Amino acid sequence: MQRRKFLSLGAVAVAAMIPSSLSATDYRETKPDTWTAKTVDDSIKKLYGSGKLIEKGVKLTTPDVAANGGAIPVDISSNIAAKSVALFQDANPESTVAVWTVPENGLVDYSLKIKMKASGTMTVVLEGLDGKLYVANKTLQVALGGCEG
Amino acid sequence: MKLKAKAKNGIVKAKVMMQHDMITYDQAKKKGIKPNFITYVTASVDGKIVYEASTSQFLSKNPILKYKFRGEKGKKLTMTWKDLLGNTKSSTKKIK
Repeated sequence: MQRRKFLSLGAVAVAAMIPSSLSATDYRETKPDTWTAKTVDDSIKKLYGSGKLIEKGVKLTTPDVAANGGAIPVDISSNIAAKSVALFQDANPESTVAVWTVPENGLVDYSLKIKMKASGTMTVVLEGLDGKLYVANKTLQVALGGCEG
Repeated sequence: MKLKAKAKNGIVKAKVMMQHDMITYDQAKKKGIKPNFITYVTASVDGKIVYEASTSQFLSKNPILKYKFRGEKGKKLTMTWKDLLGNTKSSTKKIK
């Protein structure tokens, strides 16, 4: 445990020294456990540790009823100065959908289309530069599942 | 890869459509093929990263991504993706 703590401290120090414009983090390589976690809570813990989630400041927009589970439009936006943003859902076998690193000139305004097997809840977690975790949830109905296709 | 970027008041709106089947583990098992999906996408202007995403199999087929960043007209935006089997593709377009 001591060693792990020490290593993570070192990683933070190194990350702080590199200007954010040069940062390139492939979360699949740095946090492989996140991508195999089966629940949203577990995924968040694996990615960000067990911080307190603050429910404000993040906007998550999806249709209330998605006709086609194979391509559900999702919009994420926020004015909070962010380090990274992650999208999760609880309908598919694994929870994590995508993790964005927010670079120096980047704005938190992302749109994408995702697949969901059944009705469920989507969760967005935003990691602010202040180290706090902001969260937004949205529950939606999926008429036709999109993972079998 | 289809890429579009438009600048207005110092903010660039970009839209990209990546041609990819995005085969999940479930689909691969059913069809007896290898799972394969885009795992990592970046965009850069003048070598500076402006967009970066690590993605999973739950993006739709031929995923469309939209995003915004601070930037100017006339510069070149380069987007690159990498998939599970290690294929990469990149595309460059001038910001209008």
